Amino acid sequence: MSLCASIDTLSMAYLDDELAAEERRELELHLVDCASCKQHLDAERTDLQLLRTALVPPPAPDTVKARLARALDAEDQRAAIVGRKRWSRLLLPGTAVAAAAAALLVFVGVGMKQPPSQAIATVTHEVVRQQTRPLPLEVQGASTGSWLREHFAPVEPPQFDEPGIQLIGARATAIQGHDAALLRYLVTVGINRVSLTAVLIVDVREDMLNGGEAVRIGNLTLHLADAEGQPVVTYVDDNRIGYVFTSERMTMKELLSIVVTSDLIGRAQQQLR
Amino acid sequence: MQAPREKRAEFERQALVHTDALYGAAYRLTRNPRDAEDLVQDALLRAYRFWDSFEQDSNCKAWLLRIVTNTFINEYQRKKRSREVLDAATAEQDTTDGVLVHADASDRQTPERALLDRSVSDDVQRSLDALPDDFRTAVVLCDVQGLSYKEIAEIMQTPVGTVMSRLFRGRKLLAAALREFATTHGYVRDEPVKTTADPKDKTIDLDSYRAQKAREGSQ
Repeated sequence: MSLCASIDTLSMAYLDDELAAEERRELELHLVDCASCKQHLDAERTDLQLLRTALVPPPAPDTVKARLARALDAEDQRAAIVGRKRWSRLLLPGTAVAAAAAALLVFVGVGMKQPPSQAIATVTHEVVRQQTRPLPLEVQGASTGSWLREHFAPVEPPQFDEPGIQLIGARATAIQGHDAALLRYLVTVGINRVSLTAVLIVDVREDMLNGGEAVRIGNLTLHLADAEGQPVVTYVDDNRIGYVFTSERMTMKELLSIVVTSDLIGRAQQQLR
Repeated sequence: MQAPREKRAEFERQALVHTDALYGAAYRLTRNPRDAEDLVQDALLRAYRFWDSFEQDSNCKAWLLRIVTNTFINEYQRKKRSREVLDAATAEQDTTDGVLVHADASDRQTPERALLDRSVSDDVQRSLDALPDDFRTAVVLCDVQGLSYKEIAEIMQTPVGTVMSRLFRGRKLLAAALREFATTHGYVRDEPVKTTADPKDKTIDLDSYRAQKAREGSQ
């Protein structure tokens, strides 16, 4: 059989170093005798070299590696939270909250399909943006509550049953032209610390925060939204104060599991009585 | 299951050392630096989540490239198409970004050289744009990443023969597009075309060559 008939296949496999040793030897012997095949292979070699040179990509920019390291840190923290079965640990068995939240969990699992309304999307976008701004807190620690009542509205900062959630402080801000207070919490799980933000907004219109997926827990209606990949949980109380919870490093499930242990549940039940 | 800290260290040692290579593949697959960055990030994060399923002692780079390729095929193509429809302005911005990045990287060279490099590089991206996805993927995995036919076949889930013909045609189309750009812009003199045969008419088939050899050998 003449190798000339298969020279396209053979020269390609030869240049890609894919021929078996015997096939390679046979082709090389053939090239000594066949000027036409030799010329063909040489031309292919030149083309391939040019092509490979042209295709050499630029190196990864430094930002890629830095961004990647941050993403892996976040993933480690997320995994730590999930791995410790935070969800089940948070909820005390037998409480009304636990029962309602268990039902809620199922609902959340199949929910989250509807896109949020434009209004809630605008607000949550702004909250997420505010949350990432590195502005200093105006008040820290225990005096946050009195600061909030004095500078913002007659309202208590949300408290959580979970001992690992600590109120760090607050600063004043504005969301969509409404006065708002940004509260920063620190969630400690094992050696990991995750930041949680609650933004309180005064005089919110009903439609500003009530969009996306609605879930009921007791007589409290929470709304779930996704803002740029970040979970957001919102709630509006009877005094038209809006609460927006979010965390860069939690999944929706994790965020919800924390929000349902907040004393907002208790407040809503008091309002009912 | 590894302890979290060991897992991270092991992942950094075995997988993150390939970040530059993965970015290169992503850059050639997506044809723009911003998408390339997102693609590498998504793929490596995915790899990290599934690190337990990576078979130690197998080729980590090939495993990662499979994730990059699959992520690209499944998500970026779809995302890109919808974005192109929704927002032509964004696509225009991408083009501008691409030029700026190239200009930045070539600043340290002489202006003529920088101009030439930039144009050639843009031509490469444009030539790659013209290739069907399957051809481009085969060329990127072989000629940018140096994977074997067998490794590419595993990633693309096709027989080696299919890989070879995609690679053959992809290279010919790419070489022709590059030559055309070079000629149009006067980088090279218009040389007489060496090959006249359409690559589609050529059969690339190592298997049947081998089968025929075996038949002849047994006679």
